[in-house]
Amino acid sequence: MIRDNKFFIENPYGRWVRDNLFSSSSSAFLTFFAGFMVIYSYRGIVGFILNPERMWTSVTYNMKLYMILAYPDEAMIRVWLSVGLALLLGGLSIGFYNSGKTISLGGIFQKLFTISAVIALLIALAPTNTNVIQNDGSIEVVEIIPQDVRMLILGPSLVLTLAFFFLKNIKIKSLFNTAKVNLTYCGLIIASLYFIKIPTISLDSSGERIIPDPFLPIASTTYIPWTILYVGMLIFFFIGSLLKNRDIKIMARLIPIGWFLCPLFIFSWIFKKPLVELNTVFSADIPSILVFGIIGFLIIRFSDNQSLGAYRTPINIGFLVLSVVVFLLPVVFIFKATMVLLLLLLVVSPAIATTKEGKRQLFIVWVVSLFVLTFLIRGASSDTMLVTPTGSIFGGFSLTWLLAIFGTYASFPLGLALALGRTSTLPVIRIICTGIIEIVRSVPYITWLFFASVMLTVFLPSGVEFNLIIRVLILTAFFSGAYFAEYIRGGLQSIPKGQYEAANAIGMNPFQRIFLVIVPQALRAIIPTLVGSVITSFKDSSLVAIIGLFDILRIGTSVIPAQSQPVAFIGRNLEQLVFLSFFFWVFTFVFSRRSMKFEKRLGLGER
Amino acid sequence: MSIIKTVDVKKWFGDFQALKGISMEVSEGEVLVICGPSGSGKSTFIRCINRLEQHQEGEIVVDGIELTNDLKNIEAIRSEVGMVFQSFNLFPHLTVMQNITLAPIWVRKKSRSESEEKAMELLERVGIPEQAQKFPGQLSGGQQQRVAIARALAMEPKIMLFDEPTSALDPEMIKEVLDAMKELAESGMTMIVVTHEMGFAKEVADRVMLFDDGLMVEENTPKEFFDNPKNERTKLFLSQIL
Ligand SMILES: Nc1ncnc2c1ncn2[C@@H]1O[C@H](COP(=O)(O)OP(=O)(O)OP(=O)(O)O)[C@@H](O)[C@H]1O
Ligand SMILES: [Mg+2]
Repeated sequence: MIRDNKFFIENPYGRWVRDNLFSSSSSAFLTFFAGFMVIYSYRGIVGFILNPERMWTSVTYNMKLYMILAYPDEAMIRVWLSVGLALLLGGLSIGFYNSGKTISLGGIFQKLFTISAVIALLIALAPTNTNVIQNDGSIEVVEIIPQDVRMLILGPSLVLTLAFFFLKNIKIKSLFNTAKVNLTYCGLIIASLYFIKIPTISLDSSGERIIPDPFLPIASTTYIPWTILYVGMLIFFFIGSLLKNRDIKIMARLIPIGWFLCPLFIFSWIFKKPLVELNTVFSADIPSILVFGIIGFLIIRFSDNQSLGAYRTPINIGFLVLSVVVFLLPVVFIFKATMVLLLLLLVVSPAIATTKEGKRQLFIVWVVSLFVLTFLIRGASSDTMLVTPTGSIFGGFSLTWLLAIFGTYASFPLGLALALGRTSTLPVIRIICTGIIEIVRSVPYITWLFFASVMLTVFLPSGVEFNLIIRVLILTAFFSGAYFAEYIRGGLQSIPKGQYEAANAIGMNPFQRIFLVIVPQALRAIIPTLVGSVITSFKDSSLVAIIGLFDILRIGTSVIPAQSQPVAFIGRNLEQLVFLSFFFWVFTFVFSRRSMKFEKRLGLGER
Repeated sequence: MSIIKTVDVKKWFGDFQALKGISMEVSEGEVLVICGPSGSGKSTFIRCINRLEQHQEGEIVVDGIELTNDLKNIEAIRSEVGMVFQSFNLFPHLTVMQNITLAPIWVRKKSRSESEEKAMELLERVGIPEQAQKFPGQLSGGQQQRVAIARALAMEPKIMLFDEPTSALDPEMIKEVLDAMKELAESGMTMIVVTHEMGFAKEVADRVMLFDDGLMVEENTPKEFFDNPKNERTKLFLSQIL
């Protein structure tokens, strides 16, 4: 019957359909069943979203609340600067990494074909009517997609689908610059902010709400910042491609470092507006940079000295003890943090600073990192000058972001250290690390959150006080760190013994063996797991709503549904939940797609 | 003047004695082939020479340095002694070029450009200069083993150890690796080769040894070893393998 039909044998698409969807009667059943389920849920969701009962203005009106909660209006420029910094860096990266790569016109048409075909399919399958429950409990059927609207969308998208279908097969020689194509996509997304119009709650001059809501562009209140940002992004894009064409290699290192530092800089300086007093800068920061600069210089200068060989272990242990002591002493925080950096220098210096050139470079890196660290810590540890009703400048999406980024940043090195410690041959270190990992992992995250919010203050010495967000950050670092540690340990165990032997046989010392041969392979083996756990910690960050922090979820579930001024959104829960699911989905989806590309790029070296 | 000297080396794995007293000397520029049945301790012995295994009794002196637990001595000896493994053990996350330059840069502290120049020379020597930017996973077994040889040579070792370098290879790739080793032997390198390739032993070796059950049972010139073996064990071994 179907299977023997000429169409399914001769036509390549027909063959694909036969082989993949109807290869046997049971697979045909599964195809129909799954297809039915997908279409059924899709129609349900569309019916739900377009139902006149829904009040989507409760989401759009509160967008600012969602993103930054009660961030003061007069400091809005700082929010835009934060977004801008990321966008500019994005433009620079697109320009730098993609220029030179090309995509064929056929490839573009292929994409456009897929997009228009999906649009046509979606509109064709969308339901015409939906049920609205009346006050008296009866159900009224309401038309949500009138036939003429459906035709208006379906017609052109079908035509375009067909057109792209034929165009994509034409062999056109001309190639397009991937960078420019990507930039055009970005431009289209931003342009849609101006051109797509949605019902917007507007108040007239006397403060009365205009009814019905007028249709205004999405960016009706934020024309200017978005335009400026897009122009800035364009400029940085051209700078990026210029740098690439000039073949400035150092950028390939600076851009990732920039991405790494950008959130830290945003949170500690731009978003925060720290209150920096000049006398603390002169009494703490500058002396710290000078002192540690000199100590670092001495370490780099003498660390490969042969006659020092015998004293190396005592010196390392001495520094370790010293840094623990400094950590417990009531000295400025900058000293404590730099001490940790110094320990790191002590470990890497004998491996790197062996030639004159190596010493010089390491010293430059050391001084630059001293400055960056001091600068960031000065911002992070100073009080903010902004006054907010909630007492914290972080709320909504900015809080979610803060938790996610710091959770990842802090837990990754911590996890690596714990994993290496747990596999160490020194029993004391091994026991401590195993203990930390097991204790942290055996208690649920929520319990730890309560611990952070109520108990941690009891354990801290009197006089030491952290605000709740910092306590949560420390805790999250340990919590995800412990999980990271176990994943990394799994990766370490997957490295065959021959790799250790090969590293030994070419004369590497244990430090070089671990960090040049073993750890890179272990990390690569567990990238999918690591990405999964970053995504998990991004989503789990919404649990902080339980201990009273206003993250994006809490705003959607308890703040907005209780709003009565200036517009009543009382009880508008469903809209918020749909929006939040979509919001989280977009981020995790984009993130996991990016990481898949990343994996592919790294996968080149797989055995 | 002997560059490697071992005196009554004994080695136990738990209760099991893998080496039962091996005394031998290798002089500079000599090519020594070790053969013997499976489990006779050949690998264990040559792995003791660069301290991948620790011997418990006896004495091993390499290039005038005695192998003890002193970490400095071990690292010094390892950078003098190159080793090629049966399973290649290339670093899969690095390109061929990076595999070869890793140790010169980090252990020998040479500059990158100098190391890369040297690496290209070595790749040409083993016949695969065009593979420099590939990853090990993209190469055939024979090419991988030649990269492994180049990687060991990049440290400019005085001695090269080979532990069955061709056993994991398909027959058609064995020759290319043996050719590279032959060229190396002709250039005057001191080599200890554990192998079952008797053709290689006949042609290249200065001396052939037979190990059996943790002991060295015969030591001879290749000609004598194959044509006129003294020991019954050798005769038995040769009759099985040839
Ligand atoms: N790590 C180890 N632990 C315990 N026993 C070992 C270990 N390594 C080797 N042995 C034992 O020591 C003996 C000698 O092993 P070795 O690998 O040196 O043999 P070989 O001569 O190289 O054999 P083959 O030709 O199969 O490689 C074997 O009986 C082996 O089982
Ligand atoms: Mg062996």
